[in-house]
Formats: sequence, C-alpha cells, structure tokens
Amino acid sequence: MIDFHLILEKLPAFLGGADGQPLLSTSDGIVMTLQLLGASLLLGMLLAIPLALGRVSKNRLLSGSVWLYTYIFRGTPLLVQLFIIYYGLSQFDAVRASWLWQYLQDAWFCAILAFTLNTAAYTTEIIAGQIRTTHWGEIEAARAMGMSKWLMMRRIVIPSALRRALPAYSNEVIMMMQSTAVAGLVTLADITGVARRIYSDTYMAFEPFLVAGAIYLALTFLFVWLFKQAEQRWLAYLAPRKH
Amino acid sequence: MKHTDAAPATDIKLRVADLHKSYGNHEVLKGVSLTAHAGDVISIIGSSGSGKSTFLRCINMLEHPNSGQIQLGGEELQLVADKKTGALRAASHKQLERIRTKLAMVFQHFNLWAHMTVLENIIEAPIHVLGLSRDEAIARARKYLDKVGLKDVEGKYPSHMSGGQQQRVAIARALAMEPEVMLFDEPTSALDPELVGEVLRVMQDLAREGRTMVVVTHEMGFAREVSNHVIFLHKGKIEEQGNPKQVLVNPQSERLAQFLSGSLK
Repeated sequence: MIDFHLILEKLPAFLGGADGQPLLSTSDGIVMTLQLLGASLLLGMLLAIPLALGRVSKNRLLSGSVWLYTYIFRGTPLLVQLFIIYYGLSQFDAVRASWLWQYLQDAWFCAILAFTLNTAAYTTEIIAGQIRTTHWGEIEAARAMGMSKWLMMRRIVIPSALRRALPAYSNEVIMMMQSTAVAGLVTLADITGVARRIYSDTYMAFEPFLVAGAIYLALTFLFVWLFKQAEQRWLAYLAPRKH
Repeated sequence: MKHTDAAPATDIKLRVADLHKSYGNHEVLKGVSLTAHAGDVISIIGSSGSGKSTFLRCINMLEHPNSGQIQLGGEELQLVADKKTGALRAASHKQLERIRTKLAMVFQHFNLWAHMTVLENIIEAPIHVLGLSRDEAIARARKYLDKVGLKDVEGKYPSHMSGGQQQRVAIARALAMEPEVMLFDEPTSALDPELVGEVLRVMQDLAREGRTMVVVTHEMGFAREVSNHVIFLHKGKIEEQGNPKQVLVNPQSERLAQFLSGSLK
C-alpha cells in the first residue's frame, strides 16, 4: 500500500520546509534543482555562443580545441565529470593551496561548474549545427550589403541560428533538468536528494521517489509549455501562413 | 550620347575592366569589361554557362576574379592576389565594405533574411552599416516599400509572401541603401510567370528615375525596351554589345542570332 500520510507529511520537505519548518526556510528540493539548472543553463549558454563560433571557425586549432572540449564533455557521463571536479581535484595539493580551493570545496559550486561545462558542450554543438546550416543566400545578402564578418555574425547568423536551435535546445533543457538529479551524490539536497534523505530516514522508498518523479514531470510540463511559447514567438517565420 | 568616348569621365559610375575568372583550369570569364554612366541600364544576356552571373558577382566580389579592375564612382577597388588560391581579394575589408554599400544587389532567390520581418529586413543595413537612426531607417523603408508598390506588409515574414512580393521587398532593401549602382542577378528567373510582370514594372520605374542598373536577365522584352545598352556574353567573352534596339533586332554575330531565335517568341 502507498502511505499517503507519509507523502503529505513529507511533501513540504521538497519546498525547503522539512521537519515542520515553514516552507522555503531552506533551499532544499525544488529551489535547489531550479538554482542548479538555471545557473548552469545561463552560464552554459554564455559559454556556448562564443564556443559555437570557434567550432565553425576556419582556424583549425580553434575549431579543433572546441571539438575536443565538446567530445570530452559529451563523451563522458555527467556523474563522472562531477566526481572528478568535486572529489578528484581535491587530491592535488596544488589545487588545495590555490585560491580556487575556496570554490572547489563547495559542492554547490562544483555542481554548477560540472553542469555548466556539460550543458555548454551540448549547446555548443546545437548552435554550431544551426550556424552551419544558415542559408548561404542570406550570408551573401549580408556581405553584399557591406556588412563586416563580425556584424554579419552578430546581426544575422547568430540570431537566426539561436531561433532555429530552439526545438533542439528545449530537449537539452529538459535533459539537463533530469541530470541535476546527480547533485544529490555530492551532498546537495535537490529534489532527488530530498527524496533520498526521506528514504534513509524512513526506509520508505516508493513514496518519496514517486513524489520526486511527479515534481520532475510537472517541471517538464512547464518547460515544454514555455518553449512552445518561445517557438511561437521567435520561430513564427517557419510556421505556415495563417491568412 | 552615352557609350561614346565623348562622354565626360566624371559621368562614369561603374567601370569594370578586363575581368578574368577561372575555376581551376576552366576559364569562365575571358576579359570582360563594362562601363556604366549615370542613368545607364545595362542588360547582360547570354545562355546558361556564358559567365553572366559570375561576371555580375565579381563586381561586388562575391566571386573572386583572377585579374581585372573594378572602379566605382572613380574609386578603384584595391585588389591583391591571394597567396593560396591565386585569385584576387580586396586589399582592405573596409574599402570593400564601403564600396559594397554603394553597389546594392538583388538576387535571383531574393535572399531575404528569413527570421526578420519585411521592415526589419529593410532597416537592418541602413542602421547597422550606414549608421542611420532607427527612425530615419524606418522612414526610408516606408518610402521604398511604397515605391515598389507594397502596402501593409511591414510586419510580415518573407516566407509568408509570394515570390513577386519577396523580390519587391528585396528591391526595397537594396534601394534603402541608396546605392550608386544596382546589380540585378536574374531577378525574375525564380518567379512564376504571372509574377514576373510586377517585378519588371518596378525595375522599369527605377530605370525611368535614372538609376544606374546592371541587370543579368533572360527577359528579352526588358532588355529591349528598358535597357539602353545590352551585352551578349558567350563562353566568357563579350560576343556583341550595343543599343538593344539594334543589337537585338539585327544581331551581327551568328551566335547572338542563334541565341535570340531560341529565346524570343
């Protein structure tokens, strides 16, 4: 039988309100997941746009370096990346002695660093792919109007590529949200982390993970809806005409 | 009189001299020259593969000629040989970009920026290349949309318009640069037959206004009635040129006669 009483009792814990504390008295649960996701997506996008330009660059050294980066971060599990950054780096004295240590000993920082580098790698490839498929005629038009290469990139190629990247990027956002579940393994209390804590307190597994799953589903629904709005706004030019 | 040695040199808008262009061992342009005085409408005709589009695209360096000179309004485009390809490229990006702003081009496939509305397409380069304010650019855009006969289309996306409308937007976009010379690369070849007329009428209006135009075209009616000079290219060379009313009616070369019998109905 499902213990509905337990579900109701522990539900506030997913919104920072464990053990009778008021809601949001900590950032445990949904807030932590959204923090990790939001920060890594934002930083990842800021990294991905210049990296995508490097990826499509004619400079072999530059495009090769970016290729190596995306190959490594897309070719290894996020959990391995997180463990290397959080547990692995600390075994080097030089790391512990450096100014970086104040950040690298913080699980929250390490999780955001790992997630950012991971999502930036996927996003770089998504954007680079769209830059490559920019219609050559639109590039010729920009050149024929006297645009410099940089102006053309900034005004025509990147805005067009980012719009066309939306459907693939919405997948990346949803995948990334599920991936934040590994944050619990470096002591962070994200949605899955809270469920694990309830499990170890009560030895009840089904209920907390059922609730965690339901929260992820609801968040996914929200993101799908948000991206649909974004596509209607920024990809209207690809839609069939309505009149 | 145009196209005589008596025309004053200051009248010359565009001069292209002895342009050569090869793809590998295949020479597609074997020394083609062209001089456009203010108000000239020059039609370039020829069969497919004659090099007419390549020639037009060399004028604004979308293709790189192997040798030749290009002068716009008395300013010579500085060209240097690229070490790798051997073809010429602009010595200075800045100069090429400046010259391109004075050489607006209209393409066969319109090449409008698909993610931008009609208005955004037209104001983009005036704002970001010429440095106009947004208000000035919008005023220009409305003026030229009106000139090409388009109403209530500012917020539309190109993909939601007919080919003829898109090409007229592309012409308005070119006009908004207020160029010295307009280059048209087969502007009606991608259009359904019933849409060709609306684009040709706009081009005819521009010709009447005294705009300097170089038009690669298959429309013999346009070449004959609107242009004041026609160049017939064959295998990368000018086979015959002159006043269209003479050249197209009484071709001197056998090849032009052959070409015309195939294309004139």
